Amino acid sequence: MKNIIVVVVFVISTTIFSQNKQVLYDFGELPQSLLLNPSLENNYKLHVGIPILSGFSTQIGSSGVVLTDLFAVDNQNINDKISQVLHTLTSDDFMMINTQVELLSIGFRLNDKTYLSAGFYQEIDAIGYYPKDFFILFSEGNNAFLNRSFSASQIAYKLDVLGVLHAGITKKIDEKLTLGGRFKIYSAALNLESTNNRGTFTTVQGTNNIYTHYISNVKMEQRSAGLFDTNDEIIDDKDEYIRRTFLSGNLGIGFDLGITYHFNKQLKFSASLIDIGFIKHKKNVKNYIEEGSFIYEGFEYEFDPNTNRDFWREINNRFKKELPTVENENSYISWRPTKINMALKYSFGERRSEICYDNSYQDFYTDAVGAQLFSVFRPLSTNVALTAFYQKSFSKKVHAKVTYTMDDFSYSNIGAGMSFQIGKVNFYTMFDNILSYENLSSANSVSLQLGINLIMN
Amino acid sequence: MKSSSKFAFIASIFLFFSCAESLDFNQIDDYVNKPIFKASLTYFTVVPADFFDSTGTIQQNSISETTNFDALQSKFVKDNLVKLDLDVAIKNEFDREVKIRVEFLNNNVTVYTFTPIIIQGNTLNYKYLEEIEIASNSAILNTTQVKITAELENTGIQLNLNDPSEFEFKSSVTMYIESSF
Repeated sequence: MKNIIVVVVFVISTTIFSQNKQVLYDFGELPQSLLLNPSLENNYKLHVGIPILSGFSTQIGSSGVVLTDLFAVDNQNINDKISQVLHTLTSDDFMMINTQVELLSIGFRLNDKTYLSAGFYQEIDAIGYYPKDFFILFSEGNNAFLNRSFSASQIAYKLDVLGVLHAGITKKIDEKLTLGGRFKIYSAALNLESTNNRGTFTTVQGTNNIYTHYISNVKMEQRSAGLFDTNDEIIDDKDEYIRRTFLSGNLGIGFDLGITYHFNKQLKFSASLIDIGFIKHKKNVKNYIEEGSFIYEGFEYEFDPNTNRDFWREINNRFKKELPTVENENSYISWRPTKINMALKYSFGERRSEICYDNSYQDFYTDAVGAQLFSVFRPLSTNVALTAFYQKSFSKKVHAKVTYTMDDFSYSNIGAGMSFQIGKVNFYTMFDNILSYENLSSANSVSLQLGINLIMN
Repeated sequence: MKSSSKFAFIASIFLFFSCAESLDFNQIDDYVNKPIFKASLTYFTVVPADFFDSTGTIQQNSISETTNFDALQSKFVKDNLVKLDLDVAIKNEFDREVKIRVEFLNNNVTVYTFTPIIIQGNTLNYKYLEEIEIASNSAILNTTQVKITAELENTGIQLNLNDPSEFEFKSSVTMYIESSF
């Protein structure tokens, strides 16, 4: 129970990791690997995912701060701990979460060179950068920070709740080359995003008065789609969000592309671009834009008995005029976070044969090592992860993989996964950053994937 | 045990026997956010001519200005403000004493007033700090107006209307907030 609370709080209060699924990538010919690279080969005749159970994955991560930094039972004052964390954070630190639940997954072999696959999954994808300057201004004020500029550019977040209907093809061109592609229709139930903000707040010693406060060159935009109904009330019906993931939300399209190339029977290169696409948000849109600059020195009294000025109102009016907040319902485009996967895999060990969909036999090696590169384009930066892996096939139905990954969260991320098939039922489960399971509270990231498929070879 | 079974067993270990260091989320109840904000308040510069009537012949020994001031009216401030510091910096180039009265009003009724600030003539760098503990001066939270009065010492000799000497007044407020979740 304690672990569940930790995970839930982690999701709510911190952030998540990138969508790297380094254990799943090119592993055990799992159908779900096709969502990471549509060109990855298999020898299935048919596969059907068990609805809801075929693919579940979640990844949670936070760079710069972990739960124990704040909530460890260590007799330290919570104010001191929060202050210490705030000053340790950098503007590149972030929280992320990505969760996918596969509701439908099917595939069948059209001919000996072509495998078709399709499905539907729901996804929650969120990232938020820690706005360090805002946190410090909020928690400490400007008193100790004369001449320091607090930047609004650190405010960046993106949250998507969507459903994805997809269909793909894996096409073997020749013995060496296989290409793959996938077409996706996105149905967004909710989008909240604010990126590319700018502006600073600075307090300096003044000339006319003791201090002068500058709010300079501000341009901030908060976009939302799906959060407010037509009466400007926040939609709090969970079922409504789920319903809109089924093609009744804001729609978009995207593509996955993949390539697999065999240099020889043992050395293979594969690469993919995932989620090259966008969503056009035009339903239930509400955006806020703040733009301008404002200088405040206080009220200048004039001691003019002939006027009765309301200086406070004048300041407020000038603020609204020079730094206005504009609300609109303009449609906008939200780009999906495009991911890149690349892998070089060298197979070795005992050479065995496995029966294929056409009752022919195909050789495979029991062992493989290699390296993978993952990258995802995020609002403020590009996250990169580098993975080394070892893969072992204990039999044609039982496969295991161990990974070592260096990423934004850790240089000691060890993952492991296993796939095994009993009859036509395939089970797989994978854990990332397993060293952190010794103490989940101090983990920067945790991820897992698991599922059940029916596979007919 | 076969290798695959061993692996499954180890995976199960991770799944079911992962650990989490004991955490106390209730600590957040003890967190007190204590920001300190500085902001400029009022300022002015007057010359002898500002103390004369429109004809330029009759000197007024007192001038004042009042403005609305709603900064203390927000619920957050009322609930969480614990102290106010009011800093004043004055330059008095006049040849006589000037007395400054700062009053905090609510609908023209005084709810808090400074001890009058008296600045001797030709004092060029006068500093004054008024520290206000809200717990013992809660009426100041009802402030809706700020009135400042400048009074000249009555020396019996009028100021020189054309004298370029200046009386300069600057002020700022430091707000001590203490809020919890």
